Amino acid sequence: MHYSQRARLSDQIARIIFFLCAIFLIVVIVAVIAFISSKAFNVFFEHGGTPLKTFFTIDNWDPTGENDPSGNAVPTFGAFGLILGSVVTTLGAMIIVTPLSLGTAVFFTEMAPKWLVSFLKPLLEIFTGVPSVVIGVLGLTVLVPFLTRLAAPLTGNLPTAGYGWGAAILVLIIMVLPTTLSIAIDALHAVPGSVREASLALGSTRWQMMRKAIIPAAASGLGTAVVLGMARAIGETLAVALVLQGNSLPQKLFSLAALFQPNVNITMVIARDFGETSGIAQDAYWTLAFVLLVISFIFICISRYLASRSVYK
Amino acid sequence: MSTQSASQLLISPSMDEQPESQSRLMRRLHRGNAIATSVLWLITMLVAAVFIAIILNLIWTGLPTLFSVNFYGTGPSGIAPELFNTFYILILTEIFLFPISLGAAIYLAEYAHQGRLTTIIHFAAETLAGVPSLVLGMFGFLVFSSDAHLSISRIAGALTLLCLNFPLALRLFEDALNRVPLDLREGSLALGATRWRTIRTIVLPSALPGLITGLILTAGKIIGEAAALLFTMGLFNPANVFTLDPTLASDTLTTRLYYIKGVGAGATGLNSVQETALAAGISAILIVLLLLINLAARVIGRLVQRKLTAA
Repeated sequence: MHYSQRARLSDQIARIIFFLCAIFLIVVIVAVIAFISSKAFNVFFEHGGTPLKTFFTIDNWDPTGENDPSGNAVPTFGAFGLILGSVVTTLGAMIIVTPLSLGTAVFFTEMAPKWLVSFLKPLLEIFTGVPSVVIGVLGLTVLVPFLTRLAAPLTGNLPTAGYGWGAAILVLIIMVLPTTLSIAIDALHAVPGSVREASLALGSTRWQMMRKAIIPAAASGLGTAVVLGMARAIGETLAVALVLQGNSLPQKLFSLAALFQPNVNITMVIARDFGETSGIAQDAYWTLAFVLLVISFIFICISRYLASRSVYK
Repeated sequence: MSTQSASQLLISPSMDEQPESQSRLMRRLHRGNAIATSVLWLITMLVAAVFIAIILNLIWTGLPTLFSVNFYGTGPSGIAPELFNTFYILILTEIFLFPISLGAAIYLAEYAHQGRLTTIIHFAAETLAGVPSLVLGMFGFLVFSSDAHLSISRIAGALTLLCLNFPLALRLFEDALNRVPLDLREGSLALGATRWRTIRTIVLPSALPGLITGLILTAGKIIGEAAALLFTMGLFNPANVFTLDPTLASDTLTTRLYYIKGVGAGATGLNSVQETALAAGISAILIVLLLLINLAARVIGRLVQRKLTAA
């Protein structure tokens, strides 16, 4: 074969291979959505399942029927408590993470002296990679005993006090903060220096410059940071699972003590029980996985919408 | 008076030409600025102190275990099998992950035009990156372990980790390729080289340090991952764990840590003091691995800079 022909042929082959690699990414995400949604609705239609309404409104998660009081092992599929657990811990963590990460990000980009930046940046990068199970074990060995003592007057010295939403929220803060913080820092770095200079030249103090010029200019990027942090928080598994360790919502849900009693969320029950189930009980866990998938997909869409609105990228 | 700064002069009440209200505004603004500045300092120091305290605490509590000989053995309080499995699964995953995600990155950076297809691929990558690792683990259990009959095995775990880390690897590699200056490519193409030859001889060698940094960063993610492996690789080791058989079920450092402190607490054949010491040791060794990985990525990242500034 002529040299140039051979070169053109190998060029074509390489192009096709690279194209297939890129398409593989789309195949994976489509497969994830297709396979999980194909399993997600079985529990509503199969014999022994549950109607859609009770799945989302009743707090009694017992797909294998092992806790059935009548002893007949009748399963119940009430995921309300699990979903509430995920929502409460995520929101609770984000309420604290948002001001902390935005404040730190503003300090980091606008005020921090150079030596401090060169120290904080690697620290942040290292911390972003700390495995979630390590944080969970640390929560279990350090945080939970501390909360047990702290909450003793609230819970009447229950031995299991300390586990629960309070500990989960604190652990989630540690897990989510690095993610949110680094995206927020990127968003603030994207604001050009001329915005700062213009604001300062008009006589603003430094704080006025941050509050009236920089933060509004980076608002959608900062919004993206918070939303992606929420996506991370709702899917966070092992760190949270280790410090929740409950079977249902606590008795008195609307009290401060409820934060310090063993509790539930979606990811914990999946991690703990999914591997030992089969049949209709396993289908219930697929529905939970689908709920997680939908929630995180919504978060991704919101973050994309916010990113598309941002002026500086 | 000449040593006073301009702002002090402005807020000085002795200045007759400054109206009283204006100087009060000045003072208010400067006070607000001072308060905000110190609050931001405080927040940042708080966050940094928490980060440092956690890392130091993990290393400090694990230090006694790190220096005991049993810790590196095969007994109930040893982590030799888990250490082996962690590196095994790391290499097995990278064998799939590196070429596939590099191929996808090359397509996006070198071939694709900005258009609908690249938007779709980037959207797919973002969506996949947002899927919780637990859900991807269940997907891996369904597709690789059950439907593809790989059962609970290292290969099923590696394929799940491939799906999990694909978006991150794609982004890192795409960034590395995009950092290669355009004129290098144009020069090669102008000399009559095909696109593939340009990529092979010009783009990839120039992007090599960036690609290695990306490889190391994904390695850190793979070592730290646990939730995606719970249902695809299991929590236990067979007797012949030190073999390269990819169909074996096996645990890693992270899943072992979850087992000791979570579902398997009390069932490990150790008393609770030993369990805690073992967990502290595993945490510490994970942190040490992470620090080493970060250091390696940093050193190589510096090489990139030197290469680019020299070019």
